[in-house]
Amino acid sequence: MNKNDWILIIIIIFISFSLLLFFKLTNQESNQALVYNDNKLILTIDLTKDDKYQVMGLNGEVDIEVKNNQIRVTSETSNYHLCSKQGYISKSWETIVCLPNKIIIRVTSLDQNYDVILR
Amino acid sequence: MELRKTITLAMLLALGVVLNIMESMIPIMGNIIPGSKLGLANIVVIFVIYFYGLRDGLLFSFTRVFIVGLLRTGLFNIVFLFSLSGGLLSVVCMFIAHKFTKLSIVGVSIIGAITHSIGQIIAAVFLFQTINIIYYLPYLLLLSLPTGFIIGVISEQVINQYQKIKIN
Repeated sequence: MNKNDWILIIIIIFISFSLLLFFKLTNQESNQALVYNDNKLILTIDLTKDDKYQVMGLNGEVDIEVKNNQIRVTSETSNYHLCSKQGYISKSWETIVCLPNKIIIRVTSLDQNYDVILR
Repeated sequence: MELRKTITLAMLLALGVVLNIMESMIPIMGNIIPGSKLGLANIVVIFVIYFYGLRDGLLFSFTRVFIVGLLRTGLFNIVFLFSLSGGLLSVVCMFIAHKFTKLSIVGVSIIGAITHSIGQIIAAVFLFQTINIIYYLPYLLLLSLPTGFIIGVISEQVINQYQKIKIN
């Protein structure tokens, strides 16, 4: 360890917190979520209505629940259950990625200009 | 001399693969933050970069990811592409950090840890075609600091001990 290492550590901490602040400031509430299976849009969900949905993933059914403008995965078939452990999301930067099932849930931003999709 | 190098690299490769498998058996990191890992195999990668350079480092990293894919996670699926993208980017960046900056081995290891995360995020952005994945970047960067530090301290010991043996 020398002085340069500490400078590097401080720079990384600074960048991380700047990014966190940026995401916090630009995160928007939304009323719509999109569900993708293998990069194809399969379902558009209205977040204002509390409801339960079921989509087919690669390993089987993926159960999705909407409650109080928030969305989460309640059950799915995978080794680690990362996406059902993740819990509710509701802001425009947040995504639930269910790798083994190839399912992605994105909350769309109300301001559509901000909603960047790479093509 | 060439044979000696090939055999050494082959043994290091076996060590890297075993460390990776061993790591998956002790789920300490995965329990704290799901999906994260310490990166024990990076000790071997740093060793190869320090003693054999960029070309062998890249080849080593590619072969290691390939063998681990063959044995455990499967070839050419998403996890494989994530590991490959993170692994190759971190080798290039660690080599640059080692050659052109005054960072110690600990600093180089931290560079390796953060660029491994960045490489995976880049792969995810292209595979999932959404920029939103970078939301996870600050968390991954902060997590890379302790893991990179621990791996760096171990690598420093390994490289120092190895140099002592070489002199004797």
